[in-house]
Amino acid sequence: MFGYIMPEKPELKIKEYELFRGYYCGLCKSMGRSFGTLSRFALNYDSVFMGLLLASVHKEAPVLKRETCIANPVKKKWIVKDSSHIDFAADINVMLTYYKLKDDIRDEGGWISRLGLYMFQRGYRNAAARNKQLDVIIASSIDSQVQLEKKRCASMDEAAEPFANMLSQLIIAGYKGDEDSTSRILGWIGYNLGKWIYLIDAYDDMEKDIKSGSYNPLLSQYGYESQDIRIFRSGIMDEVRMTLLQILSQVTASIELLDLTNKGIINNILYEGLYGRTESVLNCTACKKRSCMRDEKSLRSIGN
Amino acid sequence: MRNPYEVLGIREGTDVEGIKRAYKELVKKYHPDQYRNNPLSDLAEEKLKEINEAYDYLMKKAEAQSSGYRRQEETKYSRNQEDPGRSYYDQARTYINMGNIAAAEEILNRISFRGGEWYYLRGLIFMRRGWYNEAVTNFKTAVDMEPGNYEFREALNRVMNANRQYQSTVYDRRGYSTGPDLCSICQCLICTDCCCECMGGDFINCC
Repeated sequence: MFGYIMPEKPELKIKEYELFRGYYCGLCKSMGRSFGTLSRFALNYDSVFMGLLLASVHKEAPVLKRETCIANPVKKKWIVKDSSHIDFAADINVMLTYYKLKDDIRDEGGWISRLGLYMFQRGYRNAAARNKQLDVIIASSIDSQVQLEKKRCASMDEAAEPFANMLSQLIIAGYKGDEDSTSRILGWIGYNLGKWIYLIDAYDDMEKDIKSGSYNPLLSQYGYESQDIRIFRSGIMDEVRMTLLQILSQVTASIELLDLTNKGIINNILYEGLYGRTESVLNCTACKKRSCMRDEKSLRSIGN
Repeated sequence: MRNPYEVLGIREGTDVEGIKRAYKELVKKYHPDQYRNNPLSDLAEEKLKEINEAYDYLMKKAEAQSSGYRRQEETKYSRNQEDPGRSYYDQARTYINMGNIAAAEEILNRISFRGGEWYYLRGLIFMRRGWYNEAVTNFKTAVDMEPGNYEFREALNRVMNANRQYQSTVYDRRGYSTGPDLCSICQCLICTDCCCECMGGDFINCC
């Protein structure tokens, strides 16, 4: 996963922010405990959201403790402990990181990825042994992804299918209840979020992929032929935006059908967070400080 | 039945106005139009049914105290149950309405003449699958082939409206749209001017 699913921090209540960070730190610590301290570098926001969503659907009452951590040894923070959903998200995070590193080595090689893969090997084995079925899901989705890339698939919908289906199956696997409708809703949310992540990452990576000559679904679909990337990007922007927003509108319509806790945080992520992210990626890809600028804009708007 | 107050998301003992307001909000949220393109539409329908029941129950209870209540009739969304067999197109439509996407696609592939309706139906199929980009391309082709067809245009508009709805929710939540817009400011000024002129004064002296 890539870490695109984040809350819009300035719009959160402070208590919501503290709880979200509790889940974030909880996931980080859970990974450290199960897979070793180095694995914590692979922590990303998408897995945090997954853990949070599953915890909220099961209406889990979070067990909170104040603890310090390596990154901040002085100040104690609230941390969510002993959550089976957070542990599940940690397993998925590690497994996906392992497969991503393997994928990178196949594409580009490089000693950093090899070193990373070596470090994650043990953690991956543990996680995969615990979740055999999930390992099969991820492996088969990566297989079909490789096939699509090989034939240089020229449809963004088709190219996003393996990743979207994978996330859908993973979220359904994380649901432990027995309500059919809930697992259907979660599956559709997972499908759409997976698609959103895949497409926004593709849009974000266009420049990099042109340089390295890698496959990119958007470059293939719209037939990029060495023109100026800025012109190309502005030409396809509206159509990509249409698809991304449609995905988000489906996600939010579906989340309204679920009965869950932590609504404030989840709605913040799905409405403000993902919309803000979509627009910032679409509009200024090169700009490195975009989250900083967004915060500034948001703070200013309080006066209005 | 669940606690009707809980269903409507209000505190127990809320007055009739409050119930109505909550009900209207919820109906807007779960209206079939919002879920037309969503494979979870049947769940939304169930939710709406529950909301309707809770509202009916509370209103009947309120009616015991005061008379004169009329439930605002919401047009219920019922699935088109046309009998299959007339033509391939009708069959495909029926399958799409039933949610049997694979069967609908299979029938469409059997049709060799591809007019506006073919692309429209294929767009619906893609929509159900979550292939939004392909869906819109197909809808656009259908509209281009038969620009006068309202149904095709409507399908395309639905996608755009869902996007706009999502965007405007984000803006509402952020509280950006609290002030009056330019149009209503102008309206106010013109009305003020008219009133002043009636009384013999003038507010905007050039008109």
